[in-house]
Amino acid sequence: MDNSRKHNYFDLLFASVTAVASFTVIIFIIGIVAVLFNESSLAIGRFGVVNFLTSTVWDPVKGIFGAATTIYGTVVTTVFALLFSIPTAIGIAIFVTEIAPNFLKTPIGVAIELLAAIPSIIYGMWGLFTLAPIMSRYVEPALKASIGKLPYLGFLFQGNPMGIDLLTASSILAIMIIPFTASIARDSFNLTPSVVKESAYAIGATRWEVVKNVVLPYSKLGIFGGAALSLGRALGETMAVAFVLGNNHRIATSLLDAASTITVSLANEFTEADTDLYLSSLYYLALILFVMSFVILAVSKYFLLKAERKYSR
Amino acid sequence: MKRVLKIAVFVLAGMLSINQAFAVETLNGAGSSFAYPIYSAWAYAYQKVAGTQLNYQSIGSGGGIKQITERTVDFGASDLPLSPADLKKSNLIQFPAVIGGVVPIVNIPGVKPDQMRLDSQTMCGIYLGDIKFWDDAQIKALNPTMDLPHNEITVVHRSDGSGTTAIFTNYLVQTCPAWKDKVGTGTSVNWPVGIGGKGSEGVANYVQSTGYSIGYDEFAYAQQNNLTYTQLKNPAGKFVSAKSETFEAAAKTANFDPKDDFNLMMTNAKGKDAWPIAGGTFVLLAKDKKAANIKTAKFFNWSFTHGDAKAKELIYIPLPKSLKDKIRAYWKANGIHY
Amino acid sequence: MNLETKRKAESFIALTLSGLAAAVGLFWLVYILGDVLINGIGALKPSLFLNDPVPAGVEGGGLRNAFIGQLMITGAATLIGVPIGVLGGTFLAEYGRGSRTARAISVLSDITVSVPALVVGAFVWAIVVRPLHHFSGWAGALALSIIMIPIVLRTTEDMLSLVPWTLREAAFALGAPYYKVIIQIVYRGAATGILTGILLSMARVAGEAAPLLFTSFNNNFFSGNMNGPIASLTVTIFQYAMGPYKSWHEQAWGAAFVITLFILTLTIVGRVIIWWRYKR
Repeated sequence: MDNSRKHNYFDLLFASVTAVASFTVIIFIIGIVAVLFNESSLAIGRFGVVNFLTSTVWDPVKGIFGAATTIYGTVVTTVFALLFSIPTAIGIAIFVTEIAPNFLKTPIGVAIELLAAIPSIIYGMWGLFTLAPIMSRYVEPALKASIGKLPYLGFLFQGNPMGIDLLTASSILAIMIIPFTASIARDSFNLTPSVVKESAYAIGATRWEVVKNVVLPYSKLGIFGGAALSLGRALGETMAVAFVLGNNHRIATSLLDAASTITVSLANEFTEADTDLYLSSLYYLALILFVMSFVILAVSKYFLLKAERKYSR
Repeated sequence: MKRVLKIAVFVLAGMLSINQAFAVETLNGAGSSFAYPIYSAWAYAYQKVAGTQLNYQSIGSGGGIKQITERTVDFGASDLPLSPADLKKSNLIQFPAVIGGVVPIVNIPGVKPDQMRLDSQTMCGIYLGDIKFWDDAQIKALNPTMDLPHNEITVVHRSDGSGTTAIFTNYLVQTCPAWKDKVGTGTSVNWPVGIGGKGSEGVANYVQSTGYSIGYDEFAYAQQNNLTYTQLKNPAGKFVSAKSETFEAAAKTANFDPKDDFNLMMTNAKGKDAWPIAGGTFVLLAKDKKAANIKTAKFFNWSFTHGDAKAKELIYIPLPKSLKDKIRAYWKANGIHY
Repeated sequence: MNLETKRKAESFIALTLSGLAAAVGLFWLVYILGDVLINGIGALKPSLFLNDPVPAGVEGGGLRNAFIGQLMITGAATLIGVPIGVLGGTFLAEYGRGSRTARAISVLSDITVSVPALVVGAFVWAIVVRPLHHFSGWAGALALSIIMIPIVLRTTEDMLSLVPWTLREAAFALGAPYYKVIIQIVYRGAATGILTGILLSMARVAGEAAPLLFTSFNNNFFSGNMNGPIASLTVTIFQYAMGPYKSWHEQAWGAAFVITLFILTLTIVGRVIIWWRYKR
C-alpha cells in the first residue's frame, strides 16, 4: 500500500512537471506579446495605430516614426520572393513525385531538404559577395534596357543598377524559401490516392493532365498552406536580406532601389536607438511583425491541418 | 534516461565552473566605429602588457550612447559629444580620446586617391540627390582637367546611429542651408537618397564593391582598404588633402574644456590648412560604475602614454599633452582614482 | 489524331518545364554550396581555429573565440531547451493526449517554430540583458532555447505517439505506475526518434544569427565567461562579411564553410537515423 501511495505521488509530480514544460510554449508567446506591447506603449501612445501604420516618415532627428516604409519593404520583398519561388517549387514537386525515375527521387528530395537546412546568414553572405555583383553587372542593366523601356511595367526597373536593392533581396529570399514550399508541395502531392491517379491514366490521360486535373486540385489546400508557411518565414527573415537591401526608409517604386524591412531596421538600429521613443518605435515594429507573421503562420497551419484531415482518411 | 540527465547536469556544472576559471579581467566597450581601428589596436597591445581584455564592439555612436545609458556596457564611445545637460540627465561623464578626420570616399574607375576635388556645395547636392551624375556641371567646375563619366552616382551613407554621420551632417548643416532645412544633423538622419551600410565598415564595403559610388568614413578605413579619398575645399577657400597635417591643423583650433565635459565639435575649423570635417571621438562613462571606470581610465591612461605612435600610424591625431593632463584631472575630479 | 498530338505536346512542354524548375532549384544549391566550399576551403588554415582575432585591418588572426563561443552557446541552449522540450512533448503525447489543451499547445508550437527569430532576441534583451545590465552568453543561449523548445517538443510528441499503445497497456497490467512506464518503456521505444529531433533542432539554432545580435553580442577576445559578451560564428560572419577588410572576408568564408558543414552533417545524420530506424 505504501508503495502505491509513493507511486501515485511520483506520478502526479511527473505529470505536473511535464505539464509545466509544455506550458512554456504558451508562456513564451504570451510573454513575447506582453513585453513587445509594454515596450512599444510609448510609441503607441505618441503615434497611435493608424497613423503609425500609414506614416512614411522615419526621422530619428525630429523623433517622428512611422512604419509604412518598412512594412512596404517587408511586403514587397516577400511578395516578389513568393512570385519567383512558388512556380519553381511546384515544378520541383511535380518533377520529384511524377516524373523523376525512382533512383533520382530520394537524392533530389534530400538535396532540396539540405537547401532548407543552410542557415540564412550563408544565403545573405553569398548574396552580398556573389549574387549582388552579378545582378549589378549583368542582370539589372539588361532588365533596365528591356522591361524598363516598356510602358506599364517600366517603372519597376528604373534607377541605378547597383545590386544592393529590392530585386537582389527578393531573389535571395526566393532561393531560400523554394525548399520549404517544395517539400510541403511534394508531401501534399504524395497524399493524392494512387487509385485516383491510376484510373485517370487508365482512361488515357497524359501525365500532365493527371497532374493538372487530379493531383493539383487534390493538393491545393496543402500547396496553399505551404505557400503561406513560406510567406510567414520570409516575413520574419533577417540575415538573408540584411546584407543586400541597402537599409533605406523610403517607399521605392523601382525594384532597383534600396529599401528596408522591419527585420533589417531592427537588426541595424536596435542596439543604437538613442532615445526612448526611438527604441519604443522599434519595439512597435517588432510587435507588428510578430502579429503579422503569427497570423499568417496560423492561417498556414489551418490549411495544412485541413488538408491533412481531408485526405489522410 | 537517468544517465543522460546526469551527463547534462555534469556538463552544465562544468560550464558554470568555466565561468570562474576564465575570469580574466575584462572591460566591455561599445559604440563609435570611427574609433574602432585605433581602439582595437590599442586593446590588442594593452592586453599583452596589462592582461586586461578590452572587448570593444563597433556598433555605431548611437549604440554607444544607448548602451551606456542602459548600463549594458562598461563604457560607451561616441563621436558626437553629449551636452553637459544630457550627460547629467543620464548620470554620465565624458572625455575625448583621439581626433580624426572624416573623408569622402569615391569609387570611379580611373580616379586616384587625393585627385578629385569636392566642396561642401557639391557634397550637399550629391547627398540631397540634386546632383545625380558624376559629370554634373558643378563637379566639372571643380575638376576641369578630369574626364568624368556620365554615370549615375550611388550615394552610400550609414544605416546605424553614427557619430561619423553626426560630424558629416554637422559640416553640411553649417555650409548648406538646404540641408539644414530638409535633413538636419544627428547620429541618424532621414536620408533623401542612397543606400545605408552598417557601420564605417559597411560604408567602406559598399563603396568598395559598388562602382560610381560615394561615401564618407573615418580616414583609417580609407587608408587600410586603399579607397579613393578626395580633396575638400575648407572655409578658408583652399583645397586641402586628407592627411595628418590638415587634420592636425583642424585639431589645433580646438579648445576642449573640462568645465563643459569637453563638449566640442570641430567641423569647418578655421585655419588655412585645416581639414573641414575633423572631429574628436569621445568616451562616455557611467558615474555609478565605479570599478569599471577605474579599469577604463587605466586603459586610456595607458593609451595616452604609449599609444600615440599607433594612432599616428592610422592617421589619427593624438591629443596634445596639455589636454591629456586635463582629462586625467577630470577623472580625479569625478572620483576615478585609477 | 491532331488532338492527341496536341495533348502529348502540351504534356511534354509542361513536364519539361517542371524538370527545368527542379534543375533551377538544384542549380542554386550547387552554386551556393560550391561557392562556400571553394572560398571556404581556401580560408581553412590552422590559424583560423587556433588564433584569436587581431585588430581591424591587420593581416592574420583567427576565430578561435567564435568557434568556442558558438559551441558554448549552442550547447547551453541545448541543455536548457532539450529537457523542457522533451518533458513538454511527453505531456502532449501522454498525460494530455487528445485533450483540447494538448492540441492547442501542439498547434501553437508549430507556429512558434517559424516566428521571427529576431523578435525573440529583442524579447530576451528586454527581460534579461537590460535588467542585468550586461550582454551575456546565457542570454544568447536562452534566446536560442526559446526557438528550440517547440521543435523538440513537437518531435517528441510525434515520436512518443508512434510507440504502440499496447506496449503501455502491457506494462500497466504488470502494475507499473504511468511515470515508470513512460520513462522505462515509452522513452526507450522512441529514443532514436527523439535524438533525431534534438539533432535537427540543434542544426536549426546553430545557424541563427539574428537572436544573438542583442543577447550574446560579440567579443574580440577568447572568453569562456557565459556571464559576459561572447563571440559566435554567426554574428562574426555578419560583422566580417559586412566589413571592408579582405582578411575579414576570407575568414567569414571559412566560418561559413565550417558552420554549413556542421549543420548539414547534423541534418544528414538526423535523416539517416530516421531512415534506419523507421524505414526498415
